[in-house]
Amino acid sequence: MYEDKNYIEGLLSGIKSLCIGLKTTMREFFTKKITEQYPENRGKLVMFDRFRGSLTMPHNENNEHKCVGCGLCEMACPNGTIKVTSEFYTAEDGKKKKRLVKYEYNLGSCMFCQLCTRACPHGAIEFNQSFENAVFDRSKLILVLNHEGSKVMEKKVVKKAEPEAKSKEQTA
Amino acid sequence: MFDFSIISSWLHGLLTGFMPEWAAILTESILVALVIITLYAIFAIVLIYMERKVCAFFQCRLGPMRVGPFGTLQVFSDVFKMLTKEIINLRGTDLFLHNLAPFLVVMASMITFACLPWNVGAQIIDFNVGIFFFLAVSSIGVVGILLAGWSSNNKYSLIGAMRSGAQIISYELSIGMTMLTMICLTGTMSFSEICQQQYAEGWNIFRGHLPAVIAFILYLIAGNAECNRGPFDLPESESELTAGYHTEYSGMHFGYYYLAEYMNLFICAGMATTVFLGGWAPLHIAGLEGFNGIMDYIPGAVWFIGKTLFVVFLLMWLRWTFPRLRIDQILSLEWKYLVPISMANLILMAIIVSNGLHF
Amino acid sequence: MTDIQDQTPAAGAQNQPQAAANAGKPAAPAAAAVKPAAKAQPEAPAQPAENQIEPRFVEPSALHAEMKRLRDEEKMDFLECLTGLDWQEEGLGVVYNLESTATGRRAYLKTATTDRENPLLPSVSDLWDIANIYEREVYDFYGIKFTGHPDMRRIYLREDWVGYPFRKDDDPLKENPLRMTNEPLADVTETLTLNADGTVTRGENRIFGDGDYVVNIGPQHPSTHGVLHFRVSLDGERIRKIDPVLGYIHRGIEKMNESLTYPQTLALTDRLDYLGAMQNRHALCMCIEKAMGLEVSDRVQVIRTIMDELQRIDSHILYFSCLCQDLGATTAFLYGFRDREKILDIFEETCGGRLILNYNTIGGVMADIHPNFQKRVKEFIPYMRKNLQEYHDIFTGNVIFQNRSKGVGVLTKEQCISFGCTGGTGRAAGWHNDVRKRMPYAAYDKVKFNEITRTEGDSFARYMVRMDEILESLNIIEQLIDNIPEGPFQAKTKPIIKVPAGTYYSAVEGSRGEFGVFLESKGDKSPYRLHYRATGLPLVAAMDTACRNSLIADLITIGGTLDYVVPDIDR
Repeated sequence: MYEDKNYIEGLLSGIKSLCIGLKTTMREFFTKKITEQYPENRGKLVMFDRFRGSLTMPHNENNEHKCVGCGLCEMACPNGTIKVTSEFYTAEDGKKKKRLVKYEYNLGSCMFCQLCTRACPHGAIEFNQSFENAVFDRSKLILVLNHEGSKVMEKKVVKKAEPEAKSKEQTA
Repeated sequence: MFDFSIISSWLHGLLTGFMPEWAAILTESILVALVIITLYAIFAIVLIYMERKVCAFFQCRLGPMRVGPFGTLQVFSDVFKMLTKEIINLRGTDLFLHNLAPFLVVMASMITFACLPWNVGAQIIDFNVGIFFFLAVSSIGVVGILLAGWSSNNKYSLIGAMRSGAQIISYELSIGMTMLTMICLTGTMSFSEICQQQYAEGWNIFRGHLPAVIAFILYLIAGNAECNRGPFDLPESESELTAGYHTEYSGMHFGYYYLAEYMNLFICAGMATTVFLGGWAPLHIAGLEGFNGIMDYIPGAVWFIGKTLFVVFLLMWLRWTFPRLRIDQILSLEWKYLVPISMANLILMAIIVSNGLHF
Repeated sequence: MTDIQDQTPAAGAQNQPQAAANAGKPAAPAAAAVKPAAKAQPEAPAQPAENQIEPRFVEPSALHAEMKRLRDEEKMDFLECLTGLDWQEEGLGVVYNLESTATGRRAYLKTATTDRENPLLPSVSDLWDIANIYEREVYDFYGIKFTGHPDMRRIYLREDWVGYPFRKDDDPLKENPLRMTNEPLADVTETLTLNADGTVTRGENRIFGDGDYVVNIGPQHPSTHGVLHFRVSLDGERIRKIDPVLGYIHRGIEKMNESLTYPQTLALTDRLDYLGAMQNRHALCMCIEKAMGLEVSDRVQVIRTIMDELQRIDSHILYFSCLCQDLGATTAFLYGFRDREKILDIFEETCGGRLILNYNTIGGVMADIHPNFQKRVKEFIPYMRKNLQEYHDIFTGNVIFQNRSKGVGVLTKEQCISFGCTGGTGRAAGWHNDVRKRMPYAAYDKVKFNEITRTEGDSFARYMVRMDEILESLNIIEQLIDNIPEGPFQAKTKPIIKVPAGTYYSAVEGSRGEFGVFLESKGDKSPYRLHYRATGLPLVAAMDTACRNSLIADLITIGGTLDYVVPDIDR
C-alpha cells in the first residue's frame, strides 16, 4: 500500500512541477522580449566609455599628437603588436631630438591588455569604442595610428615629460 | 456546412464526360497527389516558422526577423538553401539503405497526412478501419529511422536509432490504447463518420468528459513521443548524440527528416483534432442556436486547421518548457504510468459507454 | 622545527589583527617561512613574504614512504598542487603541496633527480587519485617518468611530440614542425615499475581492448563545454570506462609566462578559465603582491571581493544555463543568459570588457569603479533574487530534472578529497573546502557568509550548491557595496616589477574551486616557473569515477554539474 501511495503522490507532485514550469514559460511568452535589433539600433547604440575597441592616437585640430616616439608601449606589449619607428633630428636650438615617424599597430594580434596605454607617460594613445572591426583582409588590420604629416603637440609638455620617459627607458 | 464532395463529384462528372472511367480516376489521383504534396510542403513551412516564433517568444527572444517582414520568408530561404546543398555519400555507409531511409520516413508521414479529414467530404483516404490504417502506416516511419541509424555507419546514429526504436514502439501502445478508448465512445473507426458524429452530437472531448480528457492528455504525451519531439527527443538529442540517427545526412535527405518531423507533429495534432476536438466540426453550444449558426458559416477547413494549430501550440509549449528525459525514464513513463493509466481509462470509458453516462 | 607549517586560516589572512601584531616581531627563521609576515614592506626584504613556501627536500628513494606516512599518519589527504620544475643543475623535480582537510595543516615537499636523460621519480598516484593526471602533466612537460604510475603518456601535447618543452634547455620549435597528420591515440600505454634492486620493469597498460565499443564524445560535441574529448567505452547505453583526452586548446600559457614580465603575465590569466577571469587574475596579482610585500589598499580589496563575487554569480548563471541546455531545456538556458547579460554590462562599464575583463593589476585595479557601478549592482541584487526563483520554477523543481540528477554521478567526500575536486563539487559531498574560509583573503574576513555544503554528493547536490551560492554571493555583495572604503585604487609600484627569489603559493576560491598560483622566482622580472592549479583538471580526472555504470545521458548531466571549463584545464 505504501508503494501505491508513493506512486500516486509521485505522479501528482510530478504533474504539479510540470505545471509550474508551464506556467513560468507561459508568463515569459507575454513579457517584453529582450532581443536587440542590431544593426537597426546602431543609431542609439552607445558603448561604455571604457570599452576597448581599437588603439588610437588622438590628434588635435592642428594635426598634432602627444607621442614622442619613446617606444615604451612597444616594450610593454606582450604580443609585439606595436611597432614604433622614430628618428633623431636636430632641433632649432641645436639639440638632437627624437620624433615619431610611424606608429604601426596590429589590431589582429592585440589582446587589449592595456599595458601600452598604462606605459605611455604622455597619454598619447588610448582605446576608442569602435567595435565593428571586421575586414576582409588581414593586412587591413595593421593600422598606422599617426596621421599623415602630423607632429608632436606643443613643446612644453614634451620637455616636461621627456626626462621621465627617458629614466623609465633606462631602467628597462 | 459547405460540403466539399460537391466539387469532387463535379470534377469527376466533368472528367468522365470526355474520358473513360479509369482514365478519369487516374487523372484525379494524380491531381490529388499533387495537392497533397503541395499542402505537405506548405504546412511544413508554416509549422517551422511557427515553431521558431513560438520558441523564441517562450525564450524572451523575437525569433527570425530579417528575411521578409517578421522573418516570414526565412523558412523559404532555408528550404531553398537545403535544396541547393550537396547530398554527401560517406565511405562505409550502406548506400542503398542510407538513401532509402529518408524516403520511408517521408512516405509514412505523407500517407498518414492523407488520412486527415479537412472538411466535409474533403478527405483522401477514408474507409471503415481508418484509425487502424493510420496507426499501421505511421509505424513505417520507425523503419526509416532504424535504417538510417544502421546504414550510416556512425555510432551516434546507431545509438539514436536504437533509442528511437525502443521509444516509438513503446509509445505506439499508448496511442493505440487511447484511440481504442475513443473508438469505444464513437463506435466507428472511420474518420469521416467520427467527424460527422461529432458535428451532430458535440466534440468527443465533451461527450466523453473525464475519460476523454484523460485520453486526450495521454494522447498528446504519447503523440509527442511518437514524433520524437522534446522532451522525448532522445533519438536526436543534440546534446548527447549531436543529431542522433540523422547525423550523417546532408542536403535534402536531411531535409526529409526535418520535414517529416514537423509534419508528424502536424499529423499528431490533426489526429487529436479529429478524434477529440471534432475534426472540421464547428464549436456548438447546446441551446445557443444563433451562435451555432454563425459558427456553421466558418468553413470546416478553417476549423480543422485552427484546432490543429492550437494543439500544435500546446505541443510546442511542452517542448520548450521541459528538459529531455533519459532513456530509462522514457520507458518507465510509458510502461509504469501511461500504459496502466490508459488501460484503466479504457475500462472507465467502457463502463461509461455501456451505461450511457456520456453526453 | 617541524616540516609541517602551521597555516591556520586566521593566521594566514592578510590585514588581520594577529597578523598585524606579528609584523613587529623579528623575522622568523627561513625554515618556518610560512609564518605570517603581513605588511612586510618592500624595504625589508629580509622578512619572508607571507605566501612564501619552503618545500622540504626528500630523496626520491624515500619519497613514497614519506608521502604515505604523511597521508596516513598526518592525515594529509588533500594533494593540493603538484608542480614540475626544472632547477637546471639541481635537476628536474616536483613540488608537492599537501593539506590535511581535518586540521587545515599544510606541508610542502619537493624531490628532484639530476638524471636528465632518463629521469625517474616515484609515483604517488596510488596515494592520491589526482596524482595520476598531475604526474602525466609533469611527464608531458619535463619528461620525468614516474615509476609505479599506471598510465605514463602525454596529456596535453600530441603523442608524437618530440622533446619536453618546459625543460629550460629544450627547443620545441626544432623538431616539432606543424604536423598535418591526425594525432595518434594509443590504446596501449607504458607503465614502469621500480623493483627492489633499483631496476625498472616496463609494463603494458591497455586502455581499451578490442571488445570495447568506444564512442568519442568530443572534441566537437555540444555538451563538453569546449574542446574536450572523452573516449567512452559503452555497453549498450551504459558507460564502462572514460578516458579523457586533453590538450586540444593547450596554449602553453605556463611556458609563455616564463618569458613575459610580471605585468604581461596578467594578460593571460583571463584566458584560462574565462568564467573566473576576475578570480584568476586576483590570485596571480595577490601572489605577486604578497611575494613583493606590496600593500594593497582596503578599497582595492573590497572592489576585488565584489568583483570576484559578481564573477562567481556570472559563472554560476552560466552553469545553470549550460546544464539546462545539456539536459534539453533550451528555454531555461536563455533565461540564464538574459540575466547574465546584466552582470556583463556591469563588468563592461567598469572594466571595459565582458569576458576578458583585464581588471586587476599588481597593486590595485586598472581603473576605479565606474560612478554607475554601485547603482547598477544594487539594482541587480533584487533582480537576481527574483529571477533565481524563476530558475527554480522552471528547472529545479521539474520532476524530469530531479529524476535525472538525484543519485546520479555520486562522488563521495573521500573521492572528492582524493581527486582534489574543490569548489561546489567538493562542497556538494560535504567537504568544507572554501578557500574564502580556509585561507581568507581580500575582504572575505570582513563579511559574513555561509559556506554552502550538502552531503549527497550527487548531481543534484552539486547543482543546488551552485544555486545557493548565487544567493550567498549576493549577500556578500550587499554587505560590501555600500561600504567601499576610500583610498587609492592603485598602489605605487616600481616601473619594473621584480619578485624576490623564492617559492610562493597563493590561492583564491575560483568559480569552480580552488584556483592556485605557484610561483618560483629567481628575482628576475619574469617568473622562473609559474604554475596554475587548474580548477577543472581534478573535475575531469574524476569523470571516470563519477560516470562508471551510468547512462550516456548521465555523462552529460555529470559533466554539466561538475562544471569544468576547458581553457582552464588545458592552459
